[in-house]
Amino acid sequence: MYRYTEFDRQFVHQRAAQFRDQLQRHLAEELPDDDFRALRLQNGWYVQRHAPMLRVAVPYGELSSRQLRALGRIAREYDSRPGGPYEDRGGGFGHLTTRQNCQYNWIALADAADVMDILADVDMHGIQTSGNCIRNITSDCFAGVAADEIVDPRPYCEILRQWSTLHPEFAFLPRKFKIAVSGTLEDRAATAWHDIGLVLKKNAAGEIGFEVRVGGGMGRTPIIGTVIREFLPWQEILVFIEAIVRVYNRYGRRDNMYKARIKILVKAEGQKFIDAVEAEFGHIREHDVDGGSQLLTDAELARVSAGFELVPEGVTPASGPRPDLFAGADEHGPAYRRWLERNVHPHRIPGYRAVTLSLKRAGLPPGDATADQMDDAAALADRFSLGELRVSHDQNLVLPWVQEGELAALWQAARGPGFATPNIGYLTDMIACPGGDLCALANARSIPIAAAINERFDDLDELHDIGDIDLHISGCINSCGHHHSGHIGILGVDKDGKEWYQVSLGGMDGSALSGGAAPGKVIGPSFAADEVPDVIEAVIETYRGQRSAAAERFIDTVKRVGLEPFKTAANGVRRATAVHS
Amino acid sequence: MKLVDSNHDRWHEATADDALVAVPAAEPWSLLTIAQWQAVRDAWPAGMPVGLIVPNDVDIETVVADLPRLQLVALCFPKWVDGRAYSQARLLRMRFAFGGEIRATGEVLVDMLPLMVRTGFDAALLRADQSVATARRVLGFFPEGHYQGDVNQTRPRFARPAAA
Repeated sequence: MYRYTEFDRQFVHQRAAQFRDQLQRHLAEELPDDDFRALRLQNGWYVQRHAPMLRVAVPYGELSSRQLRALGRIAREYDSRPGGPYEDRGGGFGHLTTRQNCQYNWIALADAADVMDILADVDMHGIQTSGNCIRNITSDCFAGVAADEIVDPRPYCEILRQWSTLHPEFAFLPRKFKIAVSGTLEDRAATAWHDIGLVLKKNAAGEIGFEVRVGGGMGRTPIIGTVIREFLPWQEILVFIEAIVRVYNRYGRRDNMYKARIKILVKAEGQKFIDAVEAEFGHIREHDVDGGSQLLTDAELARVSAGFELVPEGVTPASGPRPDLFAGADEHGPAYRRWLERNVHPHRIPGYRAVTLSLKRAGLPPGDATADQMDDAAALADRFSLGELRVSHDQNLVLPWVQEGELAALWQAARGPGFATPNIGYLTDMIACPGGDLCALANARSIPIAAAINERFDDLDELHDIGDIDLHISGCINSCGHHHSGHIGILGVDKDGKEWYQVSLGGMDGSALSGGAAPGKVIGPSFAADEVPDVIEAVIETYRGQRSAAAERFIDTVKRVGLEPFKTAANGVRRATAVHS
Repeated sequence: MKLVDSNHDRWHEATADDALVAVPAAEPWSLLTIAQWQAVRDAWPAGMPVGLIVPNDVDIETVVADLPRLQLVALCFPKWVDGRAYSQARLLRMRFAFGGEIRATGEVLVDMLPLMVRTGFDAALLRADQSVATARRVLGFFPEGHYQGDVNQTRPRFARPAAA
C-alpha cells in the first residue's frame, strides 16, 4: 500500500481540524444550513433519513487491517443507535459502495468531528466523497495482483488522488466528477461509465500511456464515455486531466442539475469539446507559469510506487509447476470446491491467489458489514493477506495476498463470520444501493427487494446453473446501484407515493463477460414491489428455456434472442399492473 | 488577502440613481461593466485607474487585450457554489500575467477564501453577514501547503526543490 508521508498525515489532520471549525460554527448557528451543506458534503457528510450519512473515502479500494479496525470501531462506537437496524447485532455497520467507499447511516452530527479525527489517525478521511468536485478515484479491486495486469494502476491512482485533493480551482464544478483507472485486459472498474475513464496500456515500444475516455455516466441519461486519446503518455496525465476539468468548469451547464454532468457537455459539443480540451492542454504547457512542471517525472512515479512493490515484503513467489488447486478439494466437501471456483481468483505471483469475502448473504443487505464483521475481516487479512484488503466495485471485500496452501484454512476461518458464501458473480452477488430505507434521495427501497430475490434464489445449485449474471438495483435514478449496467437492472420509481420498480435487461458494465459497456433496455411499465421476485424468476426461467446450451450466459442469450421473450414472460406475472393490449 | 470594507473603498461603480450609466464620465477608481468600458476605453486617458467587472460566464480571453489598462478585475460569484470565477482568476494570473487586483464579489463566504487565495484573488468583498475574525482564522489551516501547484506555489509539491 501507499505509505503516508509526514506531509500526507498532517494534511488529513488539518482537514479534520478545518472541518471541526466549520462544524462548530454550524452547531453554534453561525454557519447556516445552506452554507454548511457544500462544506460538509466535501467531507463526506450527507443529511439522510435518520441521521447524517458519512461516506469515508477508501482511495482506489485499498484498505489495511488497521484501517478496517478503525472503521469497525466507528461503527461500534458512533453508528449504533437505539432503534437502528443493527441494534441487536452488537453495534452499527458500514455499507461498502460501488465506488469502493464505506458509508455509515446512524452517526450523530455532533460526533462528526471526533469521527474525522479517528479516521485521520489511520490516514483516512472523507475528502471529496460527495459534492460537486472530483470524487474518490476508483480502480480494479485486483490492482497490483491481477493475473491479466498490464500496468499497476495504483501509483497513478495515488498521484491522481493527491492532485485532486483540495484542488482550489475545481472544488465547485457544475456537478460531481468521477474518475476510474484500470490497468488490465479485463475492465473491472467500469471505466467507460465514468466522467473520465483511464485505461493504462503499453505501446509497441513498451512505453506506458493512458487511453482516455470522457463523458461517461449513469443517472437520467446513461452515456458511455468517448475515447478522446488512444494513448496519452503517462507523464502528461495531470496536465491533460486539468485541461478536461477546466473546460468542464468553464462551460458545463449550471442551469439544470440534470444536465450538468460532463457527459451532457461532451454530447452537446462533440468534436468542439475535444478541440477545446486539446487547445487547453497546449496552452497549459506553452503559456502558463510553470505549466510544464506538472509533467510527471520518473522520480515522482518511483517515490509513489515505493509502497506498491512488485513483490511486497512477506511474499515468496512459488517456483516450479503449480499443483492443481482442486486436488484434494473434495475432502472439504462440495461447498469448498464451489468456493474455490467462485471466490478465488488468479494472481500474478505464482503460488498466490486473491480471495473475495462475500458480503452477499441472507439476512444482511448487499455490501453491509457489521462492526464485528469488520474486525473479523481485519483478522483474516492479518492472518492470510499481509494485513491488506480491497473493497470491490461489486461491494465485497477482497484479500489480495493469499498463499494457495492457505486456501483451505482461510475458507474454514471465513465461514464463521459469514464471508464464505460461494456466490461471486452469481445472481445473489448483486449490487444494491442503500435505497429508501436509509437514503433521503431514494424513490423506493432497495434492501427488501434484494432480500426477496436472495430468498427466492437461495439454492446454490440453481445459482450455479444460472451462472454468471450481473443484477444491479438502484433505489432512484441517481443510479448508485448502477442499474443501467446490470444484465438485469432494477430501478425504484415513485408513482403516487408508492414504490414501483422498472426492470431493464442487457445492460453491460464494460467487462469482457458483458462484451462492452451499454445501458440496459426497459422491458415495460414498472412492477409492484411484490411482483419483482416473480419477474426476476420469470426472466431467469426464460433464459434457461432459451439458452442454446448450458454454457451460454444470460447476457449472451439476451443479446441473441432480444427482449421480447423476456417481456412476455415478465408480463405474464403481472398482477398489480396487468398490461392491456 | 485584502478584505474589502465597502465603507472605505475607493472603487465605485458608475451609476446614477441606482442605474448604470451607459457612457460614464472619466473618473479615477471607476469600476465598469464590460459594456461601459467598451464605450469609454478609447476616450479615457491611459494611466487613469480603472476596474472591470467580469461576469463569470464571460470568456476571460476576451478581456486580455484590456488588461494593461486595468488596475482591478472584479470576478463574480452569483452563488457561492458556482466555481467558474476560480478558473477565470487562475487564468488571469498564470496565463495572462495580470498583476492588478483580482477581487471576489457576489456571494463570498469566508470558507471560500482558502480557495481564492490559491487561484489568484487578492481581495474579497465578503457577504455582509460574514465575520472578519473567522475569515482570518480559516486562512490559517494547511500551514504546510498543498499537493498541487497554485498561483503562489506555481509548481506541484513533487516538482518543488525541497519536496519531502
